[in-house]
Amino acid sequence: MEDFLARYGFLFVTILQQALLGLSLYLPLMAGQLSLASIGFYSLGGYVAAIMGTHPALAPLRDALGFYVYPLEWLVALAASTILGAALGYPALRLRGIYLALATIAFVQVFGVVVLNMPIAGGAIGIFGIPQPFENRLAYVWFFGPLLVLTLLFLWRLERSGTGRLFFSIREDELAAGAMGVNVTARKVQAFVLGCALAGVVGAMSAPLLNTWNARQGTFDAAVACLAYVLIGGRRSKWGALLGAALLVSLPELLRPLQNSRMILNGVVLVLACIYMPQGIAGLFARRKA
Amino acid sequence: MTRVFLSVALSLVLAMPAMAEPVAKPIPIGVAVATTSNIALFGQEQVNGAKIAEAYFNAQGGVNGTPIKLVFQDTAGDEAGAVNAFQSLITTAKVVGIVGPTLSQQAFAADPLANSAKVPVVAPSNTAKGIPQIGDYISRISAPMTVVAPKSLQKALALNPGIRKVAVLYAQNDAFSTSETSVFQEAIKTLNLKIVSLQKFQTTDTDFTTQVTAVLGSAADLVVVSGLAADSGNLVKQLRQFGYKGPIVGGNGLNSPNMFPVCGALCEGILVAQAYSPQADLPVNKEFVKRFEAVYKKSPAQFSAQAFAAVQAIVEALRKVEKDTKKKITAMDLAAARQAVNKALLSGMLLHTPLGEISLDPKGEVNQKQFYVSTIRMNPGGKTGAFVLTK
Repeated sequence: MEDFLARYGFLFVTILQQALLGLSLYLPLMAGQLSLASIGFYSLGGYVAAIMGTHPALAPLRDALGFYVYPLEWLVALAASTILGAALGYPALRLRGIYLALATIAFVQVFGVVVLNMPIAGGAIGIFGIPQPFENRLAYVWFFGPLLVLTLLFLWRLERSGTGRLFFSIREDELAAGAMGVNVTARKVQAFVLGCALAGVVGAMSAPLLNTWNARQGTFDAAVACLAYVLIGGRRSKWGALLGAALLVSLPELLRPLQNSRMILNGVVLVLACIYMPQGIAGLFARRKA
Repeated sequence: MTRVFLSVALSLVLAMPAMAEPVAKPIPIGVAVATTSNIALFGQEQVNGAKIAEAYFNAQGGVNGTPIKLVFQDTAGDEAGAVNAFQSLITTAKVVGIVGPTLSQQAFAADPLANSAKVPVVAPSNTAKGIPQIGDYISRISAPMTVVAPKSLQKALALNPGIRKVAVLYAQNDAFSTSETSVFQEAIKTLNLKIVSLQKFQTTDTDFTTQVTAVLGSAADLVVVSGLAADSGNLVKQLRQFGYKGPIVGGNGLNSPNMFPVCGALCEGILVAQAYSPQADLPVNKEFVKRFEAVYKKSPAQFSAQAFAAVQAIVEALRKVEKDTKKKITAMDLAAARQAVNKALLSGMLLHTPLGEISLDPKGEVNQKQFYVSTIRMNPGGKTGAFVLTK
């Protein structure tokens, strides 16, 4: 058991972390908006935590707060992501479908170049030696676990609330929703900002987990990986992001004994999943119920 | 308070009982580099070099008669992958030491794990500032480029004494290139040259029109490039195509035969700073090159030689432990063996590697005496070429 925990503890935490990132993509998808911006906010949140955790000027603050500096980092990341998310969301969400996706990819690229050129973010090497709240990486379950439970509870309530139904109405038919008097832009921005805020907090939690933070965390590749969680898992259910992340993150690790052919098998599984489960893994369960 | 409670609760759950575990036979040494993802080109060269080391040292009788076995784990290109690979080597493969990971950024994520598990790590290719400072169990055999970069500049000046104006280009998203370019820029100032143009690019770029136009506009008579093989290859190619005729000095990223297919005949004449040259006249290097060429049908790159040297460092540390304690490694407890290996690594022993004579200081930083400056010479047809030591 100890061996198992030591071997797969980090993997388990990574699954929770990536599932949360998947959920941050699911939020705008509830209102039918395909956004890849989450990874940019994840990167932003990570930088907030990394700078707050290592900058010499903030040392007195860290000493005074002790462990509570971590919740403070999350709050600062949350505030920063919410503000930047709203500022980005209003102009970007006037675009539809593929153009919105492209605009959010552009945001991720621009953000990456900006941080590379900010001395405080450490350039290409990034920031390292970020203080650890826990000795063991499995203990980060206490960060990501409660956040995941809270997020799922929030989504569960949201889906049944008026706001959630307004989101779904836009997803099903934006024109019809607008004609029924739904303030389409405001709702879309709301869903988008919720996703950005979540991604920011996940980033702030992840910087200590990785012990280092750099511009490579917020690349286009990472954005596509998050999108894959939602698509493979099922984009019409909150469980989709969870299942997708669990499958895609654990598969390469569980296939490790296969050495170099593991990535081939990993790819084969993904292709088969796309062909035979167009509604994702979660879609499989939904159909059975119906 | 919460923190205390949580850590106590978790340490109870996770308390690793200090079981006496013997070292396996053959002695397992971990190699965690990137054999997949966009940095796999480097990782593959490292795997090749390490495999030659395994065969070479086992042919010598391994560690005083006990053979070694390399256990390879792919880190892929990201930080999480490096952590998982290290975890697997430490808990499942029960290695006495680890060679890896490929990138400095990955090292910052994965090395603390090995350090807290008290497993020695020898970095074959991490050149960023602060790597040996991660912990007592972390050392490296890859020299930061502070010594070698000025040498290639001096060589360029000696060949073209008229140089006054320099254009500097670097890949701003690559950790190695950004630290190397600051060394270059420092050296340019010390040599009383003037930087007339400073251009940035990304390692993923393919079109360098903007940068090339700026360089040509500045009328520079020397161009200094810090980047990786593919992007720098394209950059050099476009510089030449747009009419730049002067000399080009490349950083260590251009020190790769992977450049040749990219810039072809236009690679000709680039001066490159190297931490390793296959032509180095050392017995161990000649044997390494012979074995490498027999297996892979090409001459070894710097990444391969460094991986060889990293494995060598661990093997020689194992030998030293056996000599000092007069006990077989395989008769030792795994945890004790790991600690003894680390102590031997940091004892300042001199290693005769293909890179030349190197030693590790007590902090784990490498001391490398010899560096090289080579010129790229392309064969007729422009498909193949070689790095020729500049006299």
